[in-house]
Amino acid sequence: MSPEIHLGAVGPTLLVGVGAMLVLVAEVMLSGRESFLGRRVTGAWLGSMLAVISSFFLILALIVAWQTFVVGSAQVFNPSHPMVRLDRLASFSIALIALGSLLSCWLSVGYLAELRINHGEYYALLLLATSGMMLLVSATDLIMIFLGIEIMSIPIYVLAGFDRRKLRSNESALKYFLVGSFASALLLYGMALLYGATGHTDLAGIATGFDVSNPLAAMGLGLVLVGFTFKISSVPFHQWTPDVYEGAPTSVTAYMSVTVKVAAFAALLRLLVEAFGDAPPALGTILTVLAALTLVVGNFVAVVQDNVKRMLAYSSIAHAGYLLIGFVAATPEAYSAVLFYLLAYVFMNLGAFGVIVALAHRGQDTDRIDDFAGLASSRPGLAALMTLFMVALAGIPGTGGFVAKFLVFKAAVNEGVIGLTILGVLTSVVSVYYYLRLPVAMYMREPGGEVPRREIASGEGIVLAVCAVVVLVLGLFPNNAPIFLFSWIRALDWTRDSVAMLF
Amino acid sequence: MSVTLFYVFAAIAVAGALSMVLNVRNTVAGALSLVGTMVALGAIYVLLDAYLIGVLQILIYAGAIVVLFLFVVMLLNLREERYPPARGLIGKFVGVAAGAGVLAWFVTVLPGALPEAAAVGEDFGGYRHVGLALFRDYVLAFEVTSLLLLAAMVGAVILAKRRI
Repeated sequence: MSPEIHLGAVGPTLLVGVGAMLVLVAEVMLSGRESFLGRRVTGAWLGSMLAVISSFFLILALIVAWQTFVVGSAQVFNPSHPMVRLDRLASFSIALIALGSLLSCWLSVGYLAELRINHGEYYALLLLATSGMMLLVSATDLIMIFLGIEIMSIPIYVLAGFDRRKLRSNESALKYFLVGSFASALLLYGMALLYGATGHTDLAGIATGFDVSNPLAAMGLGLVLVGFTFKISSVPFHQWTPDVYEGAPTSVTAYMSVTVKVAAFAALLRLLVEAFGDAPPALGTILTVLAALTLVVGNFVAVVQDNVKRMLAYSSIAHAGYLLIGFVAATPEAYSAVLFYLLAYVFMNLGAFGVIVALAHRGQDTDRIDDFAGLASSRPGLAALMTLFMVALAGIPGTGGFVAKFLVFKAAVNEGVIGLTILGVLTSVVSVYYYLRLPVAMYMREPGGEVPRREIASGEGIVLAVCAVVVLVLGLFPNNAPIFLFSWIRALDWTRDSVAMLF
Repeated sequence: MSVTLFYVFAAIAVAGALSMVLNVRNTVAGALSLVGTMVALGAIYVLLDAYLIGVLQILIYAGAIVVLFLFVVMLLNLREERYPPARGLIGKFVGVAAGAGVLAWFVTVLPGALPEAAAVGEDFGGYRHVGLALFRDYVLAFEVTSLLLLAAMVGAVILAKRRI
């Protein structure tokens, strides 16, 4: 007897995976002395071509995910043995991941050429990592969750070291690989213990068999949580983040800072709701401690950073803390706030890293805060955009970052999580200091020496424009914008619908 | 009888793992002690009625993978003086203490928490059973593993090839 298989449940994953393979083949056919076109093609042209192919498959995946979201019915790959379910949470996250990957892809073309590392494998690895994330967010079985995390992580380890001639990039890749493998081992150990305690690997089965008084199950849950906190870079498992973010090529940092976060948080959301829905009180305490530590360490250590990429790394740790507040509250309202936060975060952070990408010059990043001095006079457009993204990350009203923080805090207060919310508000005040250091440097200091200048690549321009518009639209009209062009954006409804199916 | 055998093989597995971790000076000896762990694990699988998995464990892990490790170790030609001097004594101490604490907790708590052994069917552990599980129930996991291998392969080439 053959099982009933619905390939649609892994549609986006398959599309992106096939895209990765086509990119690999296309690179071989187009590059080299005897290319498929009969003449030698330039590296820049090849890079753009591969980016176009990757974009095509990412857009297809985006359309498929969006259609699934609109239709709203869940698809299960194999109903008699469910391992993957494409429901609204999955399709929302997949759409977000596809968007983040698409924008990172466009961001990379000019930057890779500038750094002279435009090898086609970059796009293949990016697509493979994306397909892993898509699998991860739709996984309903511990085995698929683990496979998703690995397919997501391994290409990113390599991408972090993609600038092979730079020592920092090598260090970044090696560090990320070692720490990531360690985290995967802990995660796998936890999954084995959970399987031993409950006799199931699927989340629904674990929910029925889970008993927190059983130390085997409690240990399993703890180790799985540790594995996930590595991936979302929450304190105390955050030490890798600044080094990896700083050393990796900036386009890779932009990619992994947003998409990995979306994938890991969406998977954690599903895991906590579906497998540990009637959560033991200890879980809430652990999450509270994690969130508090993450908020304090992330925000305070970011203050003393001199490198913008490093500062944004600590800022991303801090944002993991705000997201964890939503997990402490653990209501449908809080989870939808978490999804809205992720939506806003993707565009804010991609925009901020996009400006650093656009400033790269002569094969070097200009990523020290001192490099930004006086930028407002030499590059007024980039300075204005960077200011917008910093303001959004700080959570100042009028931007998507504010609405996101507000929703999370509101959901937390409604659930009686007062102390953590106060800590969140206080640490956001601290964050304003370090985020505004950049605008202060750009607008109030004189440029120190020669100002590097490179024309903005068209991909970078599009990404920055899209990010800026979305950050503003999410901030001003999170639902039903009165402007004709944006009236279809109903982000609040989407996030609410996404989590509605879980409860 | 099988309980005694289990303890024997478990002891071999733990001893092999310890010897691998502690053998930092001689990496070849470390890799070889990994063979001991893998073979002992294979024997434990057989004791658990998972015959095919036990055989595959020995074939793949003890055979192919450790041999690959040995190749890599020998190609890299590691020598002791290449290691940077050890530092961060406090961190090391905290790490060891935390590890020992978790281990002690496991040892005290786990024996009372182990679930009852599940009864296994007639053909459990044979080709048919493993094949059905692999290619029917877990077919998606089996297939997407190829994506993982592709990613690892492309990545290894990118990072290691001299000219790309």
